[in-house]
Amino acid sequence: MTALALAAAELKRVTRDRTFLFFIVLLPILVILLVGVTTASSTSIRVGLVPGQSASLATQLVENIEGDAALTTQRYATRADGVDALRRGEVTAVVLVPLTLDADLRSGRTVKVPVLVSGSLETSQAAVTAVSSVVARHGAAVQAALFATTHSARSFDANLATTTTLQRQTPVVPVRTEVVNSQSNFLPLGYNYSAPTMLILFVFINAVAGGAAMIQTRRYGIFARALAAPIRPRDLVLGEALCYLALTLGQALLIVVVGAVMFGVSWGNPLAAAALIGMWAMVGTGAGMASGTLFRTPEQASAIGPAVGIAFGMLGGCMWPLEIVPQSVRLIGHATPHAWAVDAWVTLLSRGGGLADIAGYLAILAAYALVLLGIASLRLRRSLVTA
Amino acid sequence: MSAILAIARKDLRQRLRDRSAIVLGFIAPMAVAGLISVAFGSTGSFHANVAVVDLDRGGVATAFTSFLHRPELADLLTVTSVAGEADARSKVAKGDVSAAFVIPKGFSAAIDSGQGRPITVLASVDSSVAAQVSRSLAQSFTAQIEAVQLSVQTAVRAGAPHSSAAALAAEAAAAQLPEQTATLPSGTRAPTGTSYYAPAMGIFFMFFAIGFGARGFFLERTGGTLERLAAAPIGPGAILAGKSLATFVYGVASLGTVALVTSLVFKADWGPPLVVAALVVALALTLVGLTALVITAARTERQSEAFASMLTFGLVLLGGNFVFLGGAPQLVRTLALFTPNGWALRAFTDLAGGADWTAAMTPLMAILAFAFGTGAVAFALRRRVVGR
Repeated sequence: MTALALAAAELKRVTRDRTFLFFIVLLPILVILLVGVTTASSTSIRVGLVPGQSASLATQLVENIEGDAALTTQRYATRADGVDALRRGEVTAVVLVPLTLDADLRSGRTVKVPVLVSGSLETSQAAVTAVSSVVARHGAAVQAALFATTHSARSFDANLATTTTLQRQTPVVPVRTEVVNSQSNFLPLGYNYSAPTMLILFVFINAVAGGAAMIQTRRYGIFARALAAPIRPRDLVLGEALCYLALTLGQALLIVVVGAVMFGVSWGNPLAAAALIGMWAMVGTGAGMASGTLFRTPEQASAIGPAVGIAFGMLGGCMWPLEIVPQSVRLIGHATPHAWAVDAWVTLLSRGGGLADIAGYLAILAAYALVLLGIASLRLRRSLVTA
Repeated sequence: MSAILAIARKDLRQRLRDRSAIVLGFIAPMAVAGLISVAFGSTGSFHANVAVVDLDRGGVATAFTSFLHRPELADLLTVTSVAGEADARSKVAKGDVSAAFVIPKGFSAAIDSGQGRPITVLASVDSSVAAQVSRSLAQSFTAQIEAVQLSVQTAVRAGAPHSSAAALAAEAAAAQLPEQTATLPSGTRAPTGTSYYAPAMGIFFMFFAIGFGARGFFLERTGGTLERLAAAPIGPGAILAGKSLATFVYGVASLGTVALVTSLVFKADWGPPLVVAALVVALALTLVGLTALVITAARTERQSEAFASMLTFGLVLLGGNFVFLGGAPQLVRTLALFTPNGWALRAFTDLAGGADWTAAMTPLMAILAFAFGTGAVAFALRRRVVGR
């Protein structure tokens, strides 16, 4: 009971700070939004397009490129604009539709469609392949129309219309894609990626930075005064732990609700998700209390804490999937609790897992929480007893 | 002048005595840039391992397999032949290969008779780009076949006699596609993770100094040292200049060190040294302007911390320091240009991408405008500080 009262008092003091509300409420939502919007389009091949003339064949080619499912296109007025976009990583290749494309094709000349790539062709190879396929199919239609024109009295444009219709209606050699599995090793992209990973990141960062509040409490002499009352040190430790647990749980629940309501995030099996969130809140509680007992000044906790949190988030796969980094980095990443939490979310959200499927991850996270809480409780208790 | 230097020296000494200033200004950005360099050191380009299942063994199917083995695709694909479709499915599902082509039985014969049987691309949920590229490759190959068959069909529909279809097909097969792509170098280099995140993290952690500077000011006021300084025979301008100089030097030292170390150790490409130096100086001036703005806007130490944190995180979020905005929607990329760090990252990206030094001039002007703009607002609001 005493611990609950102490936790409530501490919680009231901490949440009165407006900066705290910014970091707990606004910042995570903004980051989820930004990362979600940015990653949503990361699986498509981005290509720039300088359309050239508005003649019929050029327009048709541009429309074909823009309509290709593999490509996300952006038009640019000039070659220089396209090159700027290429340099800035906004696109991975730029297609320059030749100004003479229409006239050259109609007169039976072969046309080379330039595709600008950055220094190393490898980075643009996927885009070049996809564009080449569209250009080749457009070329097939033009070739057929030219051929038919030389063997009939109909005009090129009439034959081209026939060819285009035939090509759309009955592809001669269809290519079909079949996805053979449904269980992914990655979190889904967009908000379904950003919400769970940012939950992991922000619960941890805010807890570690929140260690500043405990240092402040110690500095203000609140602990010493509390001990003058008939309060046992272990109640103070428990009160602090409950305060951090309430904060980390509150932060996690806020992200869950905002993710579901604002961004339509699906959190998977409710029981398993609740267990994972609860366990991560315990890890956060341990980290926050450890920060409050290990750092000497509030400034150190609120400044170094986020830096450590960001580094752990990067290593643990909150900023990018660990599947895309080398094996050694993946192994090092699993020294952080973040990587295990991300793995658990992948199991829940991408493989439809339940509580039993993430039991191993929960056990590992419980070990992290126990170690952190153990260290923090011992240090806090020692400082209280010797105070 | 000596008073300004003395104040600046004292402020710097005080700041560097705080370990968190060292960690945030120097160690953290380099550590994070190092992490990114290690994480993405060998993952710059797209490459897919694909399998081919040839159930047909006919001429066209063999031509397709040869097409996939062309030397120009070597950087893009590693192709292995697999005996059966089930094996290919298993390999794709397990992630041993990113995609697999299945050429059905009777594929070549169907094409020879003017028909077509589909090529199947087996893909995994985790390899959507590999699936798209594989599909495109198959379509590139079939385009030539398509051209022949379309030529005959269109000619017949246009009035050519049906009986001449075989002769028409033979004639069409001799023709080449009239359109091809030609890959040309653009003179740019693709941005690497290290070259982007080294300045991004350097600026992010440098901006933490806004909080240090503002907090230091309020601590001095609470401690009464500001009043004592004011009682000395030095004007308020000298005090302000001294404090600004300290913030400026810290900013230059922090970002400059990050630039130097990440360039030498992690091979981050920041651009030509002189232009980089100019950008670092402009960003340090922005740091001074933002710090002054926070000091004039806040009324207490806690408020200054809150404003500094919100400003720092707001700017780095919008400016693209956290997330590379190349693939972000246009609106997000435009919003980045409302921040000095967004302009700085544009300049560093352009310079690392091989742009001429002049590409950094507009960003430099924008950053300086931001620095002087914030400084001017702070100057206009100076009475809020003086009057307290």
